[in-house]
Amino acid sequence: MKVLLSWLREFVEVPVEPARLAADLTLAGLAVDAVEPRGSDTLLDLDITTNRVDCMNVYGVAREVSVLYRVPLRPPETSFAASGPAASGALTVAIDAPDLCPRFSAGVFDVEVGPAPAWIRDRLEAVGVRSISNVVDVTNYVMLELGQPTHAFDLALVPGGRLAARWARDGERLKTLDGEDRALGGTVGVVASGDTSLALAGIMGGAASEVSEATRAIALEAAYWKPLAIRRAARSLGMHTEASHRFERGADPEAPPIAIARIAHLLKAIGAGTARPGLVEARTSGAEGRSVSMRPGRLRVVLGADVPEAEWRRILGGLGFGVAAGGHEGVAVEIPSWRGDVNREIDVVEEIARHHGLDKIPSTIPAARIPGGLKTWQRRERALAASLVGAGLSEVVHYAFVSESEASAIPGPRAALENPLSEEQAVLRNSLVVPGLLDALRRNLRKGRRDVGLFEIGRVFLPGQARPVEELRLGIVLAGAAGSPHWSGKSRPLDFFDAKGIVEHALRRLGVVGLEWRAAAQDAFLHPGRAATVARGQQILGYAGSVHPEVAAAFELRDGAVVAEIGIEALLREEPRAVRVHPLPRFPAVSRDVSVVWDAAATAERIESQVRDAAGPLLRSVAVTDRYEGPPVPDGKVSLTLGLAFQHDERTLTGNEVQEAVDRVMEKLRSMGAEIRGE
Amino acid sequence: MPQSLDDLKRRVRELRNEFEEAMGGASDAGSLQAVRDRFLGRKAGGLTALLKSLQGLATDARREAGQELNALKTELESQMQRAHERFEESRRARALQRERVDVTLPGRSPAAGRRHPLAQVRMRLEDIFVGMGYEVFDGPEVDDDYHCFEALNMPPDHPARDMQDTFYLKGKRDLLLRTHTSTGQIRYMLANPHPPLVRIICPGKCYRRDEPDLTHSPMFHQIEALVVGPGITLGDLKGTIETFLHALFGPQQPVRFRSSFFPYTEPSVEVDLGCIACGGSGCRVCKGTGWLEIMGSGMVHPAVFEAVNRRLGRVVYDPDEVTGFAFGLGIERVAILLHDVGDIRLFYESDLRFLEQFPG
Repeated sequence: MKVLLSWLREFVEVPVEPARLAADLTLAGLAVDAVEPRGSDTLLDLDITTNRVDCMNVYGVAREVSVLYRVPLRPPETSFAASGPAASGALTVAIDAPDLCPRFSAGVFDVEVGPAPAWIRDRLEAVGVRSISNVVDVTNYVMLELGQPTHAFDLALVPGGRLAARWARDGERLKTLDGEDRALGGTVGVVASGDTSLALAGIMGGAASEVSEATRAIALEAAYWKPLAIRRAARSLGMHTEASHRFERGADPEAPPIAIARIAHLLKAIGAGTARPGLVEARTSGAEGRSVSMRPGRLRVVLGADVPEAEWRRILGGLGFGVAAGGHEGVAVEIPSWRGDVNREIDVVEEIARHHGLDKIPSTIPAARIPGGLKTWQRRERALAASLVGAGLSEVVHYAFVSESEASAIPGPRAALENPLSEEQAVLRNSLVVPGLLDALRRNLRKGRRDVGLFEIGRVFLPGQARPVEELRLGIVLAGAAGSPHWSGKSRPLDFFDAKGIVEHALRRLGVVGLEWRAAAQDAFLHPGRAATVARGQQILGYAGSVHPEVAAAFELRDGAVVAEIGIEALLREEPRAVRVHPLPRFPAVSRDVSVVWDAAATAERIESQVRDAAGPLLRSVAVTDRYEGPPVPDGKVSLTLGLAFQHDERTLTGNEVQEAVDRVMEKLRSMGAEIRGE
Repeated sequence: MPQSLDDLKRRVRELRNEFEEAMGGASDAGSLQAVRDRFLGRKAGGLTALLKSLQGLATDARREAGQELNALKTELESQMQRAHERFEESRRARALQRERVDVTLPGRSPAAGRRHPLAQVRMRLEDIFVGMGYEVFDGPEVDDDYHCFEALNMPPDHPARDMQDTFYLKGKRDLLLRTHTSTGQIRYMLANPHPPLVRIICPGKCYRRDEPDLTHSPMFHQIEALVVGPGITLGDLKGTIETFLHALFGPQQPVRFRSSFFPYTEPSVEVDLGCIACGGSGCRVCKGTGWLEIMGSGMVHPAVFEAVNRRLGRVVYDPDEVTGFAFGLGIERVAILLHDVGDIRLFYESDLRFLEQFPG
């Protein structure tokens, strides 16, 4: 909201420079965004918080200034001389909808419509309001000055001289001042004359009763509209006006007669019109005096500092609160009608705090009563991320929204947004990999990157009973070559086993071992021959695999990519096993290699488990250490080297013992159809 | 054959001269071996021959001559040993020289990843608060109207809801993407209905229906803090916020508190940091004010405690017994200020050229 300093000065002396005024208002809660010189004047641009509708006008700001600098507030001039027949002879008003309008005040004016004088036009234009005519300009002027929106009807165009506040009827239409022909409904309030609606209550006037140069008399409406009614109506109509902005935040129910008097004074002063005697008014209830009890001791409890009684009494008095004499149990504080935002003791405390000055409250640190710290799962999440960073992957963060077609890569229902920003962001992601990480990879490849390793730790949203299930996952994508390119040799292209190795490496950091890798082809976006389900016992953790060539093509990944996605929520929450140190082996291990030719289709896991069964208790480990397919190994066969390690805790193994175990292994393998090489 | 001691001594002199001449010409292990064969060889060595010739001398002369020859032998051997060591050393040196590399060639770096800058800033913030005795609490990103608005003193149709344009879930109008991590206040207090000593931060993702541009993103990250207990004051709010902003931006950075409005705090306090770009003199970053808005804060509104008590069915957080403060700040905002990031969208675009500028 823009305020001219000269206008402000009509109501209060400003004893400081504009910059200082701006800073002081800002600290007191009326943020001044800009201070612009305007000739000899100054324009302040204030960002008034939604609760302070009382400061969305010059006089309200002046009140704050008067408290800030302990200078008197001068009320606006509202005296005027009425003449002619009684207003009530020409106009009657009624409230047909008390839930819309508790107070409807009006006046009748004989007017001579013409241009407004320059000083009014200049002020309006300075704060961004277009000048229309002397009558309309004065109503706008008073709204900006006192905060009460009013509306002038051409009295001759008000059928029967009757105005009533009521809800619009279904099917009713109204052409508003902006030229729009609007369909109304039961949630929109109107000012009407019988069946004819003339204006949108608290939002905008109607074209049919608009003041024009032909207007000789006006009915001036100044009402108090219920905030919620105006808010809903404005929202349903998609409208936002200076009037609705104020009414929906709660205007001052006592302001209507004052605004009418101020308008009467100004119309007279500029020779634009004369009020007819009398206020025409309907009101559903009398003025409600609101008060709240404040315990002065709460100031210290909430603020941590004492505010002298004389100081808080001065502040409240200056802001228009009525403060009774009173003791420590509680002081009755009467709330001014324009402070709809103040309802309880704490609101009064805030008023005192902001004018006493937050800078006067000493800074303290609360005593620690409980030890802080990261929870186990939070530490483990950090450790997991650190191990991935150590493995050369960089972390990314993506939006949680994807398009419907992107989400359809993962079968099953998904959670969608009611009001997405666009179709591309209409669905909550159900995977970190598709499209998120693949898309991130594509963007980096487009920028000329070749070797890319990325990970994200974040939530996916899966359909649930009452609400979507949020599952914390780790997703990774790798593409290009292993290691950084180097002059010393050729790099190796990344493949499935890099993804597998990184998953194992990262989960090992969490103490999660004994993973099972089951060939799986259920995910359509993965290569059917190069994908695995990652499990631990009965628990499916996720998947890893090469991206299906067609999907890779769709993402412009010319050399493909390998990905993995693991649910980590439960893993992070596992308590890490306490480390109990094993005694170091005192006797040496013996290593032996066995080379076999085996069916290419058989899995390494199967052969290893056969070896384990046959070897007996001395075997400490077995692993495939070399693998070869191609001539001279026959088609459909594969040559494998198995590295076996034997050890005994309490003695050195003899050559015979080891040889016996190896013999058992070889016999077992032979019995299963393997050919032992090097025999 | 020497016939006399004198004769022998002459031969020894001649032999020594010959030896020294031969050694002078020996330049490597091979030629050294030839010298050894010539003078000390078992069959044809010059000294060996002289030793054999001792048998022709008288006993006394033989003893003296023997000593002389042995001394000569020791001397020749030790000279050859020294030469041998010299030649070995230079051979090894040459071998090492052949193994030399060009140390200016590029090194072989292990691939190095990066944590996301927002994660790095989040951890920094977490560590500061953990050091001050806070716990880290987390809540769901899909939340409901109650936790996001109603319990935070924003009943339906409250104008303050306009401040946060909300994404709703299709077909479930009560469900939404949380617009702030203040939901954590409600969720923590409801989950901890015991003597109210609360000291938490809640970091997490938030969502608002803003079109992405230089300074807006429909998804962003916040950290909410909540401290509740007997005797918690606005002074505590100020001291805590100053302490943490100084830990983050340096102890010289001015901090200012100004009255503001949030429905769930009263008094509400906006916190400004002296502009880190211009030091407070006014610049483009701070729009000439010398101050940067950094976070919203305030004393927990009694209505929030009352809402929690209503849901708990008993008075646990009695507004007459306990007070509290809360604040929330944007992690992106901090990262942008700390690292001079010109476009908030860079955080979500996964461009390694951006991400790799943040070590660690």
